[in-house]
Parts: sequence; C-alpha cells; structure tokens
Amino acid sequence: MQQKNILFTCIMVVSILLSACATAASPTVVETQAPAAVPTDIPPTTAPAAKKVAKFIWTQEFDTLNPIYTNMWFVSVVYPIYSCATWMFDDQNNAYPSLVTEIPSTENGGITNDGRTITLKLRDDIKWSDGVPITSADFKFTYDMIMSDANAVSTRSPYDLIESFETPDAQTVVMTFPDPFSPWLALLFSGSTNAMEIIPEHILKPYFDAEGTIDTAPWNKFPSVGCGPYVLDEWQSGSFARFVANDNYWLGRPKIDELFFQFVPDDASQIAALVAGDGDVGTFFAYSDVPQLQDAGITILNSFSGYNEGIYLNVHPDKGNPALKDVKVRQAIDYGFNRQKLVQDLLLGLTDVAATDWDKSPWIDPTITPYPYDPEKAKALLAEAGWTDTNGDGTVDKDGVELVLKWGTTSREVRQNTQAVGQQDLAAVGIGIELLSYDADTFFLGYQDNGPSANFSLDLIEYSDSPDFPDPNTAIWLCSDIPTDDNPAGTSPTGLCDPTLDGLFQKQATQVDFAERQQTFYQITRFIYDNAYWIGLWQDPDLFGFSDRMLNVKMSGATPFFNVAEWDIKQ
Amino acid sequence: MTRYIIRRLLQAIPLLFIISVVLFVMMNAMGDPLATMGGRKVTKPADRIRLAHQLGLDKPVCAQYIYWLIGNDWTKQVGEIPKPNAGVFTPIVQCLDPRTYIDADAAGVRKGVLRGDWGISLVNRQPVTKVIGARLPNTLLLMVTAEVIIISAALLIGIYSALHQYTAMDNFTTATTFVFYSMPVFFFALLAMYLFSVNFRKWGLPYLPTVGMFEPGAGQTVIQVAWHMVLPVATLSFGFIAGYSRYIRSAMLETLEQDYVRTAKAKGLPRPEVVYVHALKNAALPIVTLVALDLPFLLGGAIVTERIFGWPGMGRLFLDHVERSDTAVVMGILMMIAVAVIIFQIIADITYAWLDPRIRYK
Repeated sequence: MQQKNILFTCIMVVSILLSACATAASPTVVETQAPAAVPTDIPPTTAPAAKKVAKFIWTQEFDTLNPIYTNMWFVSVVYPIYSCATWMFDDQNNAYPSLVTEIPSTENGGITNDGRTITLKLRDDIKWSDGVPITSADFKFTYDMIMSDANAVSTRSPYDLIESFETPDAQTVVMTFPDPFSPWLALLFSGSTNAMEIIPEHILKPYFDAEGTIDTAPWNKFPSVGCGPYVLDEWQSGSFARFVANDNYWLGRPKIDELFFQFVPDDASQIAALVAGDGDVGTFFAYSDVPQLQDAGITILNSFSGYNEGIYLNVHPDKGNPALKDVKVRQAIDYGFNRQKLVQDLLLGLTDVAATDWDKSPWIDPTITPYPYDPEKAKALLAEAGWTDTNGDGTVDKDGVELVLKWGTTSREVRQNTQAVGQQDLAAVGIGIELLSYDADTFFLGYQDNGPSANFSLDLIEYSDSPDFPDPNTAIWLCSDIPTDDNPAGTSPTGLCDPTLDGLFQKQATQVDFAERQQTFYQITRFIYDNAYWIGLWQDPDLFGFSDRMLNVKMSGATPFFNVAEWDIKQ
Repeated sequence: MTRYIIRRLLQAIPLLFIISVVLFVMMNAMGDPLATMGGRKVTKPADRIRLAHQLGLDKPVCAQYIYWLIGNDWTKQVGEIPKPNAGVFTPIVQCLDPRTYIDADAAGVRKGVLRGDWGISLVNRQPVTKVIGARLPNTLLLMVTAEVIIISAALLIGIYSALHQYTAMDNFTTATTFVFYSMPVFFFALLAMYLFSVNFRKWGLPYLPTVGMFEPGAGQTVIQVAWHMVLPVATLSFGFIAGYSRYIRSAMLETLEQDYVRTAKAKGLPRPEVVYVHALKNAALPIVTLVALDLPFLLGGAIVTERIFGWPGMGRLFLDHVERSDTAVVMGILMMIAVAVIIFQIIADITYAWLDPRIRYK
C-alpha cells in the first residue's frame, strides 16, 4: 500500500510538472517592459508599466485560423485581430479603406461602368508581421488556393464566379465577372464576417509546392505571420489562444499588449467568469443572462449583423399547403401572432420585432413597420378566405379540411419557446400548429438529403440567415433556386416563384449604383411584406459584453472588432 | 498466467473489430459534418457537394470504414461508377460492388488505422494522433488526481464507517454521502463555481478561479495549474467518494463478520492487522472490479466537468468533435477507450489472483 501511495504521489507531481512545463518556452510575466512610447522623463526608479491584457471568454474554440478553411463565426469575428482586409466596416456599417488606397467606385475607375470589373489599388506601405510587403501576389495566391481542387476549402463563393483574376503590378488587383456583381463590397476580401481574407503567399506557397495542398499546412493552426494589429503567439488546444501586439502593424502598434482567448464551452460558465471578473469580453449570450451581466457592470453592445429571425412560408406550387397560397391566410398569421409580447417576454425587450428580412439595414422601405397584433383582424381575414370553425373544435376549416400547419425549426431553446408561444397565439384565432424541431445539422440538410427545411415537408420554416451581409443580396427568393430533383442545390425554402419578385431580385443583382439598388430593394421589401411571404419574429443582433476595464470599444455589425487596435484597458 | 494473458489479448482482436464497425456506423449516422461546419450559416449546396467529394464523404459508409481501417493508398481511378437504383437497398448494392472500394479519384494517401494512421480531423485538418495527444496529458492530470483523492478518501470513510457502524459519525457520513451521490455533477460544479468564485470574490474573501488552467497574467506555473484544479477535482471527486465509500463500507462489514476475521481476532492479532490485512484485502475484490471498470474512462475525461470549468481535456474534445460529426477523432477516442477497457480488465484479473490466492487462471 505504501508503495502504491508513493507511486500515485509521483504520478501526480510529474503530471503537474509536465503540464506546467508544457509552455515553459514562452513564460508569461505580469510585469514587463513599458511600451516604446514611455516618456523619457520618468525617473529610473519608476516600476515598469504592467502589461495590458484583455481576456476574452470564448465559448467556441477556433477550428482553424486560415480564413479560407473555416465556416465558424467565432473565427471570422476575430479576423480584424490577426488578419487584414481590403476594407473594413465601421460602427455604421460604412466601408472604409484598409489595404486599399480607396474603395472602388465608378467615379474613381475602380468599377467599370458595366459593373463587371473591379480593380483594387493596394497601399504601398502594407506588410505582413514579419516585414514582408503585402502585394497583389498574396491576393492572387489566395484566389488560386480557394479555387484549387487540391484544397478542401470551406467555400468558393463568390470567387467561383470570377472570369479573370489579374495582377498587372504589385499594387493592383483586377477581377472580372461575367455579369455585374453587386455584392462585391461585402464579399471580395472585405472585413465582413461573410468574406475571406488574404493568406501569405511567401509562407504557404512553399508548402503547397511541396505537399500539393495546404489543407494540412501548420500555418492554418498557427498563423505566426499575420497582417492584423495582433499576431498569434500561442494556441493550446482546448485551453486558450494568445495574440500579442504586432509591432510591424502599418497603422501603428495597438494599445493593448495581449488579447487572451480563454475557451469556455459552457454558457453558464462564461456568464460566471464574466460576473466574477475573470473575463473582459464575451459574446453570444442568451437574452435571459443579460440582466445578470449588466448588474455585474458588463456593458452590452449589440452588433446587428443582418440576422432577422423569421418564418418562411412554404408556398411551393405543388408541395405547399393550399391554405398558405391565399394572402389573407398568410396575413392572418401575421396579425394573429403577438410578436411584440414575444419580444418583451422572451427576449426581455432587448430587441425589436422584425418587419423584413433586411431590418437594421438601409435597404428596407422606411414606411414598413411590423404587422400589429390584432387577433380580431386575423379572424376576419380567415373568414374572408373561407376559413371558419364549422365543427366547433376551435380550429378553422374549409371544405372539410382543418387549418393545421407544420412549424419546424432547430432545437435552439429560444426557437422552441417561440414555437410554443406562437402555437398558443395562433390557436386563439383558429389556426392549429403542429410543432417540429430538429438538430441544426438535420434541419439544414439539403434537398438531396431530404432536409426538412429544403424538402417542402413543413409549412412554416423558422430560421435566420444573412448570406452576404452587409450586402442585401440573397438567392433564396429566385425561381431558379427552388430545389428540385434536377436542381438539388437550390436554396429556396419557400418554393415561391413570383415573376415580379424574381424580376426585382434579378435587377438588383446587376445594380452597382447604391441609390438605384436601394430603390429596387424598397420594392422588394414592400412586395414581400404586403404579400406576407415572410413572418418577422425579432431582430437578432449578436450580443457582446465588455467589462468596465475596456475603453474605446466600438461595435460594427459587419466587422464587429473593426477598431480593436484602438481598444484600451483602464489600469 | 502468461498463456491466459495471451489468450485474452487474442480474444480482444475480433472484439475490437466488432466494436469499431458498430461505432463507425453509428458515428456516420449521427449527423452531417458538412451541414453547417460549425458555423451559423448553412453550407452552400455546391460547396457541400464539392467538399463531400474531396473529403471522401460521398462514399458509402462501408468504403469509408475500409479506408479508415486499411487506408486508401492502394486505390486507383476506375472511372465513372453508375449509382445503382435500388431504393433503400442502394447502399448495400454499392457495398457489394468491389469497384466502390477500388475507385478513389482523390489522391489516396491514407494508410489506415492498422498501419498507425488514424486519419485527419474534419474540423481542423490535423492528424488525429496530434489532436488527441494535445489533450491527453491535461485529462490524465485532472482525472488521475481526482481518482487518487477518490480512492483515498473513500477508503478512509468506508473503513471508518464499517468499524463504527451506527455511531453518530457513521450516520453523518452516510447521510452526507447520499446527498453528494444524488447531486448531479453539473449542479455541484455550478454551485461550487458561484459560491467559491463569484460570491467569495463579491464578499471580499479569497476566491477560486472560475475557468481555465491558469491566469494569463501569471502564466502556466505549477501553482497556477494546481489552484485552477481545485474546483474541477472537487467536482469530480465528491460524487465518486460517496459511491465508493458505500461499496467499501458494505464489503468491509460483510468481511468483518467472516469466520477467519473472528479467528484472527481470537488469536489476539493487533487490530490494525486484522482490519487492514485480513479484512480489507478480502473486501477489496469488489472494489478492484469497480476501479478497473472506471480507470479506462479516465482517458475519456469528464465531459461535464471539463466543459463547465473550461478544462482542455479529452471529454471536451470528444464533445466538440461529436457535435461536428468528426468521425476520425471520435473513433480515435472511442477505440482508445475500448483498448483501455480490455487492458484494465486483464490487469484486474491479475490483481484478483494477487489478492486472493485461491484464484488461478489457466
């Protein structure tokens, strides 16, 4: 027994030592040398300034930090920390130049009049963290890697649309599309979380030449050379990632010395850590946690990233519920569902009811407001459409058919609660609801895999998406995007093919002039709203929380951490 | 004994094969790794089709298993294989067609598990051995520490309770162990976190850290790691101490009533020798079974505890990769545990023989 005890003690001591020594090569110290900008008149006896460290409590660990391989929002949101973009979006979601000298436009010749060719003019003082200049070759290499069959990148969109990609000199990138490409501002190497950013040719090309792929390149996991205000210094799987200030950042050294990401997968633990003061930044909170965070001094900033939770109505000509083809029935759902109360009760009034799928953007007709809650009007509309409760069972019917709709969504808690509230409200006006919920991976399976959101088996399909934010473009309302056996890749959940709407969407996709396109979108949003093809639930911002130590933080919807280099810490 | 061990190891080979087939098929039925790829957006259909082909996920599950087991570096291009139209039997027809296995138009570079290649993670494109290797030491540190505390404390409590049956202290420990045993791990963890971290800090008392292995400002020192282990180890330990101590108490009480213990007492042997040599050694058999069954799962980590305290161990790794339907990593973890279960069962059998000379293996 004594020997066993000694053995166990040895194992414990060795384990602790091994674990602690794992990162001995890069020890962290609290006190360190002051930044270079320390005034020279400080007496020599003054203690060096403490290192400024901001601690993020991050609920999802990065899968990879190579922008062309990840689909994770928890990675793309940190691009402004270690990566760089042609342009960023500020707290008003307005684009401002970053790697380029100016935003392309028809006026400055950056966009041709036909809207097909976009030219990027790069700054001549931009460089990677190792001092190597960033040139058009990095853009071309990134494009080549995205399009290479040897690389299993997360998406090729929209680069697969490019007809030619040319780099006439080190500071010029010319991309030509076969047709006008209106979402270029959001998607072409931009700072949007929906876009991909450049990767360093001088680091990854040798690997690609040797291995034939960059799928397994060490840089993907450890981008020790970057172009953002910070550079990855250490990443321990499952534990943390540490970014340190990039002294070569062309816009100047950031104010905070180190950004430390602690990976904490449990939501309750994240809240506890922030409340306890163990973290400075957190995100993706449940609305119900917000009051507790605010009580603990955490400032909540909303980042409207284009997500508006809503219900797509299945009006597929063959597979859709016949009742939903009547606009009066669709409007009755709008009037019969008290979404104002839903937002107040379930989301604590921290957001608003969504009127369109483009709320909180400049693209919606400003005269549109959400349908008010009016159950009497809902009943009247149903009666006008011929739906009345003839058998007294509480559910309206017509020609012997009860109005019972299948409402499906993912198993996310707030969605299931919404279903329950909606079922109750709609039952009160005589609409029966059958609730269905699925694991997200199952719900979003494609048509070819018989996914419930794609196979038209549901009548009401609830989710939110923001494919090209801050650009309003989407394909899901196009006739050509209705999934069929011949077109299994279609993405329309509604099955709607309305020539007027289709025409408007086709038109906006070719408009590169903002004002003209905005007018087209006014018509689009008005059309969908009047016809009640989409039932808005709530505007769904990303919630970020910051401790009272954090200074100068601004929040953008498209590039949440756009001014991270200016953040500071109160000491 | 040596023949017995060799025989048990040989018996383990078909067992592991069956386990691997069952687990692989179940993993493939769990979800679609390409549906959202961990993001908030649905993967575009065109990308999904391309990625499925590039990653070999468009192959029938039987072919995926064969490639996982023996690799695909022996495959070659055989051209277009028409997809059979056999309704629900299509996968079976495909699995029976040898061309399904031979054809691989992507460069076949995988060597397979039998040649030591556990594959590449779909999540981060890192080798499975590297992914698991990064987490295993953290899990062993946490779990071995907890197990040592569990066994030590359970022995102390169990033996004390058995020797002082129905005393006030026995009743107290019995009641306390029932409370801890019936408390869910997540509840205990969050309760401890809010009490000793959040509220202690609020009250101005010395407080424990909430999450992680160390403070970024202090660095990964021995003291920092040990300090951050307090709450997770306590969470892991309390429920098990309660359970184990009940087993030990019960086994000791039964043994203390045996004739040979009475004889030992009658012979005038010192009480410690009676208790710890004659009684405990014989009472230890069921405990050894219990511990031998638990030890392999130390490798798997503690999913709930690691998740709540942000401990970078195998439990979290397993959960993260199951959520992404990352077959390669999940299979690596599960097969490692399966092998450990077999090995620890053999060790348990050997320990039985050591504890009880009447047991002999042939």
